[in-house]
Amino acid sequence: MSAPLASKLLWLAFIAFVVLFLTLPLVLVIVFSFNMSALTSLPLTGLTLDWYARLFGNESFWPALRASLVIGVTVALLSVVIGTLAALGLARMPRRWAAIAMTSLSAPMMLPSLIIGIALLSYFVRFLKIPLGLPTVVLSHLVIVVPFVVAILHARLASFDWSLVESAQDLGASPSRAFFTVTLPIVQPTIVGAGLIALALSLDDFVITFFTIGSGNTLPTMVWGMVRTTLDPSINAVATLLILLSIGSTALALSVSKYRG
Amino acid sequence: MGRLPRLPRQLTALAPAAAAWLLLFAAPLAYFFVISFWSVRARIMRPDLTGRNYLATLADYGDVLLHTLLIGLAIAFVTTALAYAFAFAIRFRAGTWGNALLLLTLITLFGGYLVKIYAWKSILGRDGIINGVLRSIGIIDEPLTFFIYNANAVVITLAYFLLPFAVLPIYGNMRAIPDSLIEAARDLGANTFRASRDVVLPLCERGIAVAFLLTFLISVGDYVTPRLVGGGTSMMGHFIETQFSFGFNWPMGSAMAFTLMASSLVIFLLCRIALRQLISL
Repeated sequence: MSAPLASKLLWLAFIAFVVLFLTLPLVLVIVFSFNMSALTSLPLTGLTLDWYARLFGNESFWPALRASLVIGVTVALLSVVIGTLAALGLARMPRRWAAIAMTSLSAPMMLPSLIIGIALLSYFVRFLKIPLGLPTVVLSHLVIVVPFVVAILHARLASFDWSLVESAQDLGASPSRAFFTVTLPIVQPTIVGAGLIALALSLDDFVITFFTIGSGNTLPTMVWGMVRTTLDPSINAVATLLILLSIGSTALALSVSKYRG
Repeated sequence: MGRLPRLPRQLTALAPAAAAWLLLFAAPLAYFFVISFWSVRARIMRPDLTGRNYLATLADYGDVLLHTLLIGLAIAFVTTALAYAFAFAIRFRAGTWGNALLLLTLITLFGGYLVKIYAWKSILGRDGIINGVLRSIGIIDEPLTFFIYNANAVVITLAYFLLPFAVLPIYGNMRAIPDSLIEAARDLGANTFRASRDVVLPLCERGIAVAFLLTFLISVGDYVTPRLVGGGTSMMGHFIETQFSFGFNWPMGSAMAFTLMASSLVIFLLCRIALRQLISL
């Protein structure tokens, strides 16, 4: 029986290939951020923290990090409030209506960021006539982040046992008291997880930020400037920080929400 | 607070999301669509009702549009096929490792868009990692230049970025397929390929369509990848973006964007019909 073995080996090779394909490029960026040579190329020439020292000495780094974190945390908090309310509303709606509402709310996930970015740019500048800056970036990020938060919480509430809330209300709890003492504690891990995913999405966004920030930088727009203009090797250092921030918050999200596949 | 009847309560809960959707998504898109009929004179945008921008898009950028749609199709095909095979491996072939592979897919989903493109630029580039390896083991003396700054580099980079997005909806469909269904097919004499083709594939039609649409739309609208690794590869996104940076012709950029989206949707619907035909064969 060599055929099943051959097929097993082929599948194994395929899985190994995809796993390497998914991880190797990110691993290489991280490895090169500690490499002595100024060129991002093999062979490795020795270990150094110089690129991080140079990055932290770069005067545009700290404002960009600060802007990224301020935007990310604000977007996470706002989108969690908006998204949780929406998911709760959807959960109590007739299935057909909820499906239609869900599809419409998810539409922004399907559009290229470029189109959302330029549409918002013209809307802010020409129609609303408001100056671009961090607030416009926050509003813009909500467009793409809220659908993710709603989708995550909607999936969680699909398996929620509503009889618990009804029992609380039968025992005399007001709807808001039942929400804060029964519903919220049960879905809280998912809410925290969704908030961290929102943070990761916001930290990672480049295209929409680029069009709606006006002047100033976030980490991704700073990386864009470095990729385009210089061959500054500290780009590997800032790229590594971005990878760690976004993957870190995703991993944290999966672990707090006890994600099990 | 008095007890509100059921329906209004649900609508109140949905109100903030609905308001955000209306004011920050639907209204900007509608306004942006209106702009596509405006005209520009002496670099000043004026309200108008002209179809000239659309005619100019087709006349001046028709070949770029075609090229963009073809590259988008290539990326969507490669990514969706790879995603189907990987989702199949996670669900039916990886055993207890399946969850770890799924976790890896979820985590690489958010690994940084710009960082991922930059990573491929440093892998494929003239002084990049592949050339470095080949030179240090003595296979080549001069760096090879055909890895980067062409359409292949764009396809590889975007397929890499989009793969996790494509795996999840297909896997979502596969998770609902019970093992017993596959076993039944095998008991009836189907080999793995037949079982996958006749049982699994039809049940994943929706997930495949979502994966294909997502990868296709994001690819045709991308301008960062062609600019960083595509060299002279001309894609619509690049020319649309230019209207907003150097060209300052927003109406033209808007007409180009809506032409791109409309033609992409037509192509997607044709592909979906083809997929249904293929599955029911």
